Amino acid sequence: MDGLIGDQPLEPVEPAYRQVLGARLLLFWLVLSVAAIVFDRAVLAGTPLAWLLAVLVPVVGVSTVLTAPSRIYARLGFRLTGRILQVVRGWLFHTDTVVPLVRVQHIDVTRGPLDKMFGTASLIVHTAGTHNSIVALPGLSPARAAEIRDAIREHVRTDFV
Amino acid sequence: MTADDRAVGPAERLHPLFVLVALGGALRGVAGGYAFIAYLAASGRMRTAVLAGLALLVMLVASLLLYWARFSFRVGDNEIRIDSGILSRTHRSIPFDRVQDVDITQGPVSRLLGLAKVKFETGGSAGSEDEGVLEAIGLARAQELRTLVRSRRSAALADAPADLQSAPVFAMDGRRLLLAGVFNFSLAVFAGLFGATQTFGDVLGFDPLSRRFWAALLDPSNPVAQFVLANQFVSVLAGAALLLLMGLATGLTRTVLTDYGFRLDRAGVGLRRRRGLLTRTDVTLPVARAQAAIVSTGPVRDALGWRDLKLQSLARDEGGGGDHVLAPLARDDEIARILTEFQWSPLPDRVEWHGVSRAYVGMLALLLVPLLVVGSIESLLMPWVALIWFPALLAILALRWLAWRRTGYRLDGDRLLIRSGWWRRRILILPRNRIQSFEIAENLISRRFGVARVQFGVAGGSGFSSHVIPALPRETARALREELLVSPS
Repeated sequence: MDGLIGDQPLEPVEPAYRQVLGARLLLFWLVLSVAAIVFDRAVLAGTPLAWLLAVLVPVVGVSTVLTAPSRIYARLGFRLTGRILQVVRGWLFHTDTVVPLVRVQHIDVTRGPLDKMFGTASLIVHTAGTHNSIVALPGLSPARAAEIRDAIREHVRTDFV
Repeated sequence: MTADDRAVGPAERLHPLFVLVALGGALRGVAGGYAFIAYLAASGRMRTAVLAGLALLVMLVASLLLYWARFSFRVGDNEIRIDSGILSRTHRSIPFDRVQDVDITQGPVSRLLGLAKVKFETGGSAGSEDEGVLEAIGLARAQELRTLVRSRRSAALADAPADLQSAPVFAMDGRRLLLAGVFNFSLAVFAGLFGATQTFGDVLGFDPLSRRFWAALLDPSNPVAQFVLANQFVSVLAGAALLLLMGLATGLTRTVLTDYGFRLDRAGVGLRRRRGLLTRTDVTLPVARAQAAIVSTGPVRDALGWRDLKLQSLARDEGGGGDHVLAPLARDDEIARILTEFQWSPLPDRVEWHGVSRAYVGMLALLLVPLLVVGSIESLLMPWVALIWFPALLAILALRWLAWRRTGYRLDGDRLLIRSGWWRRRILILPRNRIQSFEIAENLISRRFGVARVQFGVAGGSGFSSHVIPALPRETARALREELLVSPS
């Protein structure tokens, strides 16, 4: 066995992905905090639970926004060899997905507003499988995403024509 | 007739009796309308209710007539064209090259009228259900269309057409059908009754889930209660027998309805399956579209040597079920014969399964710990809880342990075999080149045990049927993936 996966180290994604994650989490927790404070003041005021939500939710939010992005970033990696694309991510729920390139049906490179703001892009690979048919690799530089897309496209073409 | 007309053929319509056939489905589709009419009737406006009902019926018939009038199809030299749509018109063209096969379905009304629903199986995704469906045409025309499509395919494949007189690959006689029905024993009807009493119990003043109901029923002065108490043993027995009979009847009815006259035949590109009592279906399963096969059984059936065989295919089975049933109840040699028809080698007689880690049981035990704590606290307050709670937890663990003993995998040439379950025993036959993606997943708990689950993405099938090997030691999981990747794909 020639070690299809093992040879080269995992490649990290763009450091800017941390900012994307941070901004996304910030938005999420901002909305949640406002909702929690409104709920707390409107419904729970005067009960023994008053101020609990209004303090707890923002505190959890701030700590998440400060700590989570770098951790998620550190645990996200990918590997592209001549035959496979591997995406490794997550800690609590760690997944390690391998897609043989000849199995790819089509490929998207997408950029949301946050991606555009921080100069990143997501590569989304579709396979025919019912489970796991969409494998996403976020946080790439647009150039690298296009490069990977072209590399994979080569395989899609050679297999089916 | 111009040359162009010949290339696309003359326009044909659905059978005029289409309206009758489709009305059943259309009536089922307007449940909201009935609720409204029932409301009118219940609130005493009988005349309005009748008028509303009539209006609804007229509207449905009119819309079906419009659909019929605006629907036409043409059978050309190279394609089938379907023009449809009342306001927004759709002109669809389905090249014969893309049609895998023609499915013919006949519901009870259609069978009386000699009509059939024709569906052109294309490689389209499962979502586009009504791509190429002719709701109701004459049965003869339907068979003509099928023969036409077949002849084109067999011309391309240089394959002999199906010989309908030859012996079937697999067929079920009456005895087998009844036996399958017995094994389909189901208490689903009780789940339904349970739901009904939940919903309507209050209205009827009848709710077997409330304490009052039982208190009233078991009140010593109540003659029913006295009778029940006096004959407790007999009535328990009678209740159990009734339950058994109902379960049997449900299973038999369901099985006879779907699998009556089950018959598999060799057809040009695959297997042709016919079955059904009221709704007859006639489906061809092309070999090329088979993704995986599942041989499943239960403890009792297994002991008696019975199995069933399903095929995971790119096409969906009728009724939206994911996997195609190839044999509802069969012996090992019959399953081997069907698999051979598919040009798959049969299951080896003896398989040396590689088991999974004991952590498969351990992880569940860890998850049950909170329940154990809750149960212990509760049984301090109410000692009888312990009698139900702890045996239940033990039973869950015991079932998992039994399942663990059966769970395993094996590389068998160009395919992967996965065996799982104790109650629902399955053997999955997954050709290596049908695996679309590999995933090794760990979580907080499995990491403590040093194991990972390996999940395979396979095309087709029902959305929830992912194929998994649970709880493999991390290194083994990686090695297995490597091995599967190295094989020529």
